[in-house]
Amino acid sequence: MKTWIAGLIVVVAALGIAGAPFAAAEPGVTDAEIVLGCSNSFSGPLAFTGEQATRFGVDLYFRAINDAGGINGRKVRTVYYDDGYKPQDAAANTKKLVEQDKIFAVIAPQGTPPVVATLDYLEENKVPLLFPFQGSPVTRGKKYVFSGMTLYDRQSRMMIDYLVGERKYKTFAVLYQDDEYGKAFLTAFEKDLGRHRLKLTATEPVKRGATDVSAQIAKLQAAKPQVTFLVLTPGPGAQALKERQKIGWTDTVMVSSGPLTDERYLALAADAAEDVEGLSLWPDPLTSDLTGVRQYREAMQKYFPKNEPNRYSLSGYFAALLFAEGAKRAGKGLTRDGVIAGLESIKGWESGILPPITIGPDHETQKQGFWVKVEKTRFKALTDWLKSE
Amino acid sequence: MRRAALVALIVLAVAWPRLASSYLVFLASLVLVNAIVAIGLNLLSGYTHQLSFGHAGFLAIGAYTTALLGLPCLRLEGLYLTMATLAFGFVVTEAILNLDALTHGADGLRVPAARLGPWALTTDAARYYLVVAVAALLVVAALNLARMRVGRALLAIRESEIAAQASGVPVATWKTLAFALSAFYTGVAGGLFAWLIGTLSPDAFDVFLSVDFVVMIIVGGLGSVPGSIVGAAVVTLLNDVLAGFQNYRPLIFGSVLIGCMLFMPGGIASVWRRQTAP
Repeated sequence: MKTWIAGLIVVVAALGIAGAPFAAAEPGVTDAEIVLGCSNSFSGPLAFTGEQATRFGVDLYFRAINDAGGINGRKVRTVYYDDGYKPQDAAANTKKLVEQDKIFAVIAPQGTPPVVATLDYLEENKVPLLFPFQGSPVTRGKKYVFSGMTLYDRQSRMMIDYLVGERKYKTFAVLYQDDEYGKAFLTAFEKDLGRHRLKLTATEPVKRGATDVSAQIAKLQAAKPQVTFLVLTPGPGAQALKERQKIGWTDTVMVSSGPLTDERYLALAADAAEDVEGLSLWPDPLTSDLTGVRQYREAMQKYFPKNEPNRYSLSGYFAALLFAEGAKRAGKGLTRDGVIAGLESIKGWESGILPPITIGPDHETQKQGFWVKVEKTRFKALTDWLKSE
Repeated sequence: MRRAALVALIVLAVAWPRLASSYLVFLASLVLVNAIVAIGLNLLSGYTHQLSFGHAGFLAIGAYTTALLGLPCLRLEGLYLTMATLAFGFVVTEAILNLDALTHGADGLRVPAARLGPWALTTDAARYYLVVAVAALLVVAALNLARMRVGRALLAIRESEIAAQASGVPVATWKTLAFALSAFYTGVAGGLFAWLIGTLSPDAFDVFLSVDFVVMIIVGGLGSVPGSIVGAAVVTLLNDVLAGFQNYRPLIFGSVLIGCMLFMPGGIASVWRRQTAP
């Protein structure tokens, strides 16, 4: 009995003393290759957007640039793991990417909860977290994190300033998803209306997963707002629009918010989505004449001819394009800190997709959007790019 | 032989942070946390044959729930209990979303590092040791419990509630106890989970997580403590390994489970028992 306990202590102590020091080469970079990756939703509620942003977006740009010789002679390889929108899986996947796959940086992960679960780990280990597809401002103020999508508080500011300033509306109501996404917009709307000395006339919550919103729509109609914001996921969003059409409520402008502002989702409501307005963060992927968007469509036609262009793959494509610009600026001796400095040096840069990009010390890559209105199932632009500064 | 295996296991558990990368250390911690939930769930399902689809809810709010739900639901039997727990899982998620003053809703909650006296457990290895220590305690407790009077009473309830009652086993009391213990295990695991991930949000605890726990004990073996641990390891590691298959993950995961059920209907523990039986 005693001897095996003593033996156990010796073995444990020996193992405790041994322990190799960590090697210090720049991970994820060789002379021939850069390895990037992310944990994303390939199953679960956001599987479509996750797959489009990564395999048909980020990879689309990298395939094109690899065929054209790569970034400073290095080809880019990507590794993706599925987290099904679960924070714990995202944390495990991200550790695996950093420690086993030795990625250089995380690019384009998706969703606030999974991204937040990896935030501190990546910052502590000095691994860049580039352009996550999420709008909560929790990503602000980190040295190694650059935000992607225009953050929700900026979106709200642009929407309210435009509707109050340009369109002179005075009464507003909100139909919102009863979760963080809905409440993030709700508080931002209240704050931004406050700057104009206005208040919300009525607010109605919708439970996650609810399909019937007729009671809420009836109550909102009774409040007679000039503008009604929809902060919903696609299913209930379409339901709300159909319900409004059914009861013949026409004297309000329906405004969709955040990721709901997409033809694919609004099309679920068929002709009930006619005249819905909103803030679009991306030019029309199918029809825009911008050079960058044309190149995106040509690349899609060449590499994935069966995949129809859409905003999610365009956002992933843009993330890869922006990374490539930062990596080019970092030069031949590519390091993580070099890419951070490279991205921070971007001023008035033409991407051919969005208006000139300037990334300052705030690390926010997108700060704009433009106003659109649905006409015969497609968005028609009503304004030029709106700025949030 | 058994002692040698036990020693090897202890050495491996203690030495793991030295041998493996911090990712594998984290993964081992996650396996153990899931194993604690699985053992807890097995105390309920394996021993009394009640099925709970609400264990993600317990994991979410920790041990407090025993007081909230434990008593009223235990009068329910079989399918009715299953339905009540299924509803419970949803209720907890809703509650977390709506008590935002306390939980920050879906925005998630930053969890401060665990502290043991003067030490803050900030590294993966430190958190791992905490998890190992707690898991070891709970495993020993569960093993002992199963061999005690209580364990025999619970087994009697599993075989036949009527027969158990006729033999003088107070069925409702023991079922309450099993449920409370089960929720307690899961609550403890919830606390460890919070420290391990460092941030909490209701999306971590959806109904599929509860289903995952049920899968763990079925794959591992109902009514077996080692089976629960093996089941938790299999499901957690499988999830992790399959993450690289992206869209095909649910498909492959499902096929593996069907395979398990076809070839080992009693779970891994039953195969082990058959192999080692004289």
